[in-house]
Amino acid sequence: MFALALTNGLVIGIVYALTALGVSLVVGIMNVINFAHGEFYILAGYFSYLFAHTLGMDPLAAMLIAVAGVFVLGLVVEYTLIRPTYGDDMYSLILTFILSIVLQSIYLLVFGPYPNKPPGWVKGATDIFGLFFYGNQRLAALGAGVAVIALFFAMLKLTWFGRMIRAASQDREMAELNGIDTTRLNMFGFGLGCALAAAAGVILAPVFPVTPTAGTPIALTAFVCVVLGGMGSMSGCVLGGLVLGVVENLGAAYVSTGYKHLFMFLILILVLLIRPAGLFGRREA
Amino acid sequence: MLTIEGVDVFRGETQVLWGIDLTVADAERVAILGSNGAGKSSLMAAITGLLVPRKGTVRLRERSLTGLKPHQITHLGIALVPEGRRVYKGMSVRENLEMGAFPRRGRPRLKETLDRVLNLFPALGRRMNQGAGTLSGGEQQMLAIGRALMSRPELLLIDELSLGLAPRVTKEIYAALDGLGAETTVLLVEQNVELALKHSGRAYIVESGRITGQGRSTDLMNDPNIRRAYLGM
Ligand SMILES: Nc1ncnc2c1ncn2[C@@H]1O[C@H](COP(=O)(O)OP(=O)(O)OP(=O)(O)O)[C@@H](O)[C@H]1O
Ligand SMILES: [Mg+2]
Repeated sequence: MFALALTNGLVIGIVYALTALGVSLVVGIMNVINFAHGEFYILAGYFSYLFAHTLGMDPLAAMLIAVAGVFVLGLVVEYTLIRPTYGDDMYSLILTFILSIVLQSIYLLVFGPYPNKPPGWVKGATDIFGLFFYGNQRLAALGAGVAVIALFFAMLKLTWFGRMIRAASQDREMAELNGIDTTRLNMFGFGLGCALAAAAGVILAPVFPVTPTAGTPIALTAFVCVVLGGMGSMSGCVLGGLVLGVVENLGAAYVSTGYKHLFMFLILILVLLIRPAGLFGRREA
Repeated sequence: MLTIEGVDVFRGETQVLWGIDLTVADAERVAILGSNGAGKSSLMAAITGLLVPRKGTVRLRERSLTGLKPHQITHLGIALVPEGRRVYKGMSVRENLEMGAFPRRGRPRLKETLDRVLNLFPALGRRMNQGAGTLSGGEQQMLAIGRALMSRPELLLIDELSLGLAPRVTKEIYAALDGLGAETTVLLVEQNVELALKHSGRAYIVESGRITGQGRSTDLMNDPNIRRAYLGM
């Protein structure tokens, strides 16, 4: 039971981490908390359902198009809703909160209240070290999550775009002085943040179907990951996601499924008591 | 190269600069002197586009900088070494220098410029893969200057070069700047008046947001008023 709960925790944890990376990215670059982050996750799930199930596209192609679609929507949202609010973080908070409710209502209208599930990529199950049988779709989700996170980190480290992101996250004004158009960077950073949520969405939707309101707890968990790992630390964010995923599943296995969110907050409070800046957080002067 | 005419600058609703006129010619070394809060950094901000003048013009080689964003001004060939150095502490020395070469004028010549910068500041070469946050104050200042040079600027602005540095390190950095050659024009803000006058051809004196004096550095050095006010003699 322990090994199974642990594996479940890792699968969910990786997806949490992926979602949280998007939040962390956007907070880092533009100091904006996107309350509609979870709704972008859900939208990607719906998109991949729509393309793969309804239109009969290849699941992988459907996923890629779904992520690309959410990326473009992210650009539009930044341009129309967030950009006019620069200089006053409160407005973007309220606007994205309204956006999340509007999107939830649209999902309800278009897709109905019932769970929707895009087709899986693989079938069957694998024997894990003779301990238990584990669904191949979940294993594939784990692999895909790890791959996307690795790609994201490689992008941050190796490309000009990645270096622009890191520079601007540390000192926006200095980055602008180094010739970076930080207004444009905001737009692409926000789009990329949404795309990370979308990647998490398309990866997990074949396992956990999407519903109009399922984005709220996902965004909540992502915010907790970011705080847990330490604001501004990308690797902390990944660790935070894994910790939450594992704790949640161990708790569900040994105590009760009903206390999922309670465990999450207990962990958060515990970590913040011991390390106020989060696991990997730098304490700013 | 740089012409500033009648510039008024505000921070919020507070005026910090009044009718600033200032010119810097090609290959010149010009110093700006003034006590704390005089408005030296605000002047740097007005040149780099971080603060937008309400009145007056800033021109770089006859091209008006009015309405340009800071990143566009950087692309035109002005680089700032900001007060407090502001290196990217979470990035390595190499990455900091590479960030400096981000503008189109720097990127194609990255390797060549990097060699030149490391030649200028050999201390950086030994720490290329180290985090910039682990450098000493002097090394961070070298890095900040190196990063600015990486964009191959025509005009290099340095705000508070020697602040908080040991005299030996300050000397080393000034020696490096003296070796820059005519390709780079330098406008520098310096608290240490003696040093500033020694390493510049001309200087301006800023007091309470206005330019109250200017002249050749050698003349200013011998000016009894300057000596009394700034050199404590
Ligand atoms: N961020 C800011 N917001 C509001 N006022 C500011 C700000 N920074 C500086 N000031 C004010 O603007 C005026 C000019 O400041 P500035 O930093 O340009 O002076 P400075 O000559 O560079 O001083 P220092 O030698 O201390 O660096 C001062 O009166 C200062 O109090
Ligand atoms: Mg200053």
